[in-house]
Amino acid sequence: MQEVKALADGSRSLMTDGRQPLSGTPSDPSLTWTAPSRARSVMPPAPASSSVALAAPVAAMAAPTPSTGPSADPTAMLDELVETVEDVRAAILASVDGFGLARSSSMSDEASHPAMLAAAIGLARQLVAMGGGEQLRQLVIDHDGGLMLVWPLGDERVLAVLAATTVEQRRVRSFVQARAAWLSRAAS
Amino acid sequence: MSAQTFKILVTGPFAAGKTSMIQSVSQTQVISTDVFTSGDESDVKSHTTVAMDFGTYGLEGDDTRLLLFGTPGQARFRFMTDILKGDVDVVAFVIDAEATETHAAAGVELRALLRDLRTPAVIAVNRCDDVTVARRLARSLGALDGEAVVPCQLIDPDSGREVVVEILLTLLASMESSKAEVA
Repeated sequence: MQEVKALADGSRSLMTDGRQPLSGTPSDPSLTWTAPSRARSVMPPAPASSSVALAAPVAAMAAPTPSTGPSADPTAMLDELVETVEDVRAAILASVDGFGLARSSSMSDEASHPAMLAAAIGLARQLVAMGGGEQLRQLVIDHDGGLMLVWPLGDERVLAVLAATTVEQRRVRSFVQARAAWLSRAAS
Repeated sequence: MSAQTFKILVTGPFAAGKTSMIQSVSQTQVISTDVFTSGDESDVKSHTTVAMDFGTYGLEGDDTRLLLFGTPGQARFRFMTDILKGDVDVVAFVIDAEATETHAAAGVELRALLRDLRTPAVIAVNRCDDVTVARRLARSLGALDGEAVVPCQLIDPDSGREVVVEILLTLLASMESSKAEVA
């Protein structure tokens, strides 16, 4: 949770609100995608420049966000991710059987998007077995236009985050991790 | 037929019996991508295929092998059919005779697929015991007169094997006709 502290004040308060319904739920094994400790210790403290860059969007969000909390809708949460974590462009929440549940406002509405995420996660889970593993933690699509990070949320949902290659994955992860349990069952 | 591997595309609407068929006939462990259904679809069944099923079937004493690629059934997963349909030798189109509400869309899909692939098809009419009924349904979906039609009960593994036999016969026939064209 050290990463959380690195975020600007405004977003920290959002985090705290958003995290309330999550307390005591990190037991779900599919949410244990935390970067290996090696990566964690190597992480430098958030550079001053990124705090500066964050200040503007966070301040802009401060007004219209009384919605965060147990009843917050997932769309607002995904928009918050796009606005608060630099280089994140869009995010989609889908059911594992391919229905769209929420998407950030920056994402167009295409029926095939959630279906493709479901198919990719379905296949990736089988590839985990090929790799000798048991549990899929993360699927990364690394392409010339950026990165797509896809996580299973519990047994029923999938979250995809579209970002520029330069994104600080650690920050996306900590944002999502803090809300994963909630997103895995939030009403669509 | 010897030392040959054929690719079979097993497709058809949601809940028609595609995964059941592959699971009942495959001689290797089926790679499947079943997940829990949600919403209205959970009223129909508890699980659904989201990417593909993959199974194999080999003839004893022969090197002939069928690779069975099953698609998801819902329109939102159409891109998987597009991915899997390359170099297909036979299309096995599975349809549930009793799920009449799926038939119109299935017909559109079958006709488009056959026009596109130009491969022979086997129409497996699930939950049906009557050849005449099965043929009539297949024709209404746009199957050609020469297309093989198999009434089946895919909940029963033996029934799945009858579909495989039709697939093998269809392969044999298409090989013979292509040989005749060459000659």
